[in-house]
Amino acid sequence: MSTPFSLFIPRDSGMHRLHPLTKLTLVGFCLVGGLFFPGIWLTYIAFLVIILPLAAWGRILRPFLSAVIKTTLPFAVSLVLVQGLFWPGGTPVLELGPLSFKEEGLIFAARGTGRILMIVSSFLLLTFTTRADELMLTLSQKGVPDNIAYIMLTTLQIVPRFQSKANTILDAQRSRGLETEGNLLTRARALLPLIQPLLLGSIVDIEERAIALEVRAFGRRGSKTTLLVLHDTTWQRVMRWLLVLATLAVLAWRIYLWLEPRIQG
Amino acid sequence: MIRLRDITYHYPRATTPALDKLSLEVPAGQLCAVIGANGSGKSTLCYALAGFVPHFYRGQLSGHIEVAGIDVAQSSLAEIAGTVGLVFSNPFNQITGARFTVHDEIAFGMENMGVPPDEMRARIDEVLRFAGLTDLADRSPFALSGGQQQRLAIVSVLVMRPKVIILDEPTSQLDPVGSKEVFAVLRDLAAAGESTIILAEHKLEWVAVFADRVLVLQDGRLVADGPPREILTGDNLHDWGLEPTRYTQVARSALNAGRRDNGEALPATLEAAVEYFR
Amino acid sequence: MERLKRDFNTISLAMIPVAIAINIAIGQIVYALKIPLYLDSVGTVFVGAVAGPWVGALTGLLSNLVWGLSGLNPAYTPYAPVAAIIGLLAGFFSQWGWFKVWWKAILAGVITGLAAALLSAPITAYVYGGITGAGTDLITAVFRNFGLGIVPSAFAQGVSSDPLDKAISFFIVWLIIQGLPARFLDRFSRAEDVR
Repeated sequence: MSTPFSLFIPRDSGMHRLHPLTKLTLVGFCLVGGLFFPGIWLTYIAFLVIILPLAAWGRILRPFLSAVIKTTLPFAVSLVLVQGLFWPGGTPVLELGPLSFKEEGLIFAARGTGRILMIVSSFLLLTFTTRADELMLTLSQKGVPDNIAYIMLTTLQIVPRFQSKANTILDAQRSRGLETEGNLLTRARALLPLIQPLLLGSIVDIEERAIALEVRAFGRRGSKTTLLVLHDTTWQRVMRWLLVLATLAVLAWRIYLWLEPRIQG
Repeated sequence: MIRLRDITYHYPRATTPALDKLSLEVPAGQLCAVIGANGSGKSTLCYALAGFVPHFYRGQLSGHIEVAGIDVAQSSLAEIAGTVGLVFSNPFNQITGARFTVHDEIAFGMENMGVPPDEMRARIDEVLRFAGLTDLADRSPFALSGGQQQRLAIVSVLVMRPKVIILDEPTSQLDPVGSKEVFAVLRDLAAAGESTIILAEHKLEWVAVFADRVLVLQDGRLVADGPPREILTGDNLHDWGLEPTRYTQVARSALNAGRRDNGEALPATLEAAVEYFR
Repeated sequence: MERLKRDFNTISLAMIPVAIAINIAIGQIVYALKIPLYLDSVGTVFVGAVAGPWVGALTGLLSNLVWGLSGLNPAYTPYAPVAAIIGLLAGFFSQWGWFKVWWKAILAGVITGLAAALLSAPITAYVYGGITGAGTDLITAVFRNFGLGIVPSAFAQGVSSDPLDKAISFFIVWLIIQGLPARFLDRFSRAEDVR
């Protein structure tokens, strides 16, 4: 399957064979966990103990790690520098020239990085191991209108064409003397002769594709069938329920921690 | 199978009609070619038969169109789909984009119609063989050549088993190789005789080969209607803004040079030309 | 309700993937030309303007998800509500006729940019600890240095870029709409609102 514009890497692995709903539930748990886990280290532990092994099981460990680092690192760096150095009224613990790292800021940065790590990596885990059309079918089965599924899948397939079309237009304009280097105004002026052809060139395409969709009965309201079949197992259903319970437990724990000092008073 | 009575259509904001008091009847199973100069109304007629005029293009339509028992102007496009199929010239824009392989792309229309999966698979295999696309079944539709994509478009519609198939200049955006591939499929389609086919075309040599009947449009009006050989070798082609096939041209120059009898019917196709010069 | 059904016609459906692709293509060109803007919602604004607020909101939302699914920027996904708001507001401003006049379009962009900054700030604060990982974090640093809280600092950072970015995006869409052939514009459900 060739969808150049997605993260999906086809592999023969248990992770890939999981029903997309199971993976989605996991992402949901990691989202809630990432946002609401108390303390600093639970998110890192969850990453090491849950997400990394799953990535290994999916045989995508190296590209996965590379994507996780590429995405999370800029945030981590910014967090440490911005919140670490500029935490108002914080306790200085480390000198950096005229500035100093504040303890509260560093703790905040550690917590923040863990949060981002858990959320982003779970999402990446999903996209690396799930085919887009299987994901869309799952959503459709859960009630998402199939127009949405259609839009997502089509977009993933046409974006590469648009990117190359944009580059072609850019090159063509350059060869006709369009200045793309130089000061900001020059570069900004280069933009408009790019956008109009991109959109106008699509107009007939949009109309004709709409016609083709109607011809293929896409506007039909009755029940539809699918060629694609998703496999589910009992233990996955059990796992999904456990994950939902775990998610609720995290929320409950968080609410309890928030209420406790107020109840005492 | 197809019945048009006094069809007049104006595109929005247009002062001259695109179709002008057109009346027509096409029996089931016929392959009816529609020819005419640019702007004569060929495309408009195709879209009218498929319901896109007026549902999609709006404008004013008067008269009565009945295709396979459906009053096309009164029914919705969703009701028409599956009974009437349309193929147009741009192969790329007929790829839905929602499926990743040629095989699944063909299934798209049937999925929307609720055809059971086993039936879908059987029909897909049959139609892949019909168009010579079996080896490409697992490829992305976007990775195909123009001729392959157009063959895919035709079978994606064919697989829905429409009673009427309308093709609006299916080879105009293809190179010669692609055109030949598509015409081979059309020829087989015509030979199978199961659907009624309306083919708007510019390439008259092909029209001559497998059309049962030729309609000539000019300024939205039907100006001629008859068997291909008669229409394509007649003297009025130039009046209608058309050029005769090279076979006819060669034969006519032989006739004018006195090397042929006036009584013989002029050829429009290669086979007929071979016969003519024997 | 009838208007809503017309907004979601097949043309809109076929338009949304194109709008998302344009979002991405323009966003990447802007980045390649090293212009200090995003301009990654021009497609969303266009759909909002010509097909109404709800189709615009949907375009923004799905565009955001595509950025994530495609691997372009998976960290973008929590901002889905912001992307949706941009399309939504573009649609409402269009409904109120603001796309008919160039300076009203720009003003609509400024207001939308402010709304986007306002909505992004808590997301940036809570999910990302108040930073975006980009150069504009310098601005956040300055405000933090002055003792401003995390959310206000994030808002300040947003205000420094979003209103300008959206103002230009809205203006570009205004220009595009002016240049569209009538035959094509009529195809959209909100054509009378924009010209």
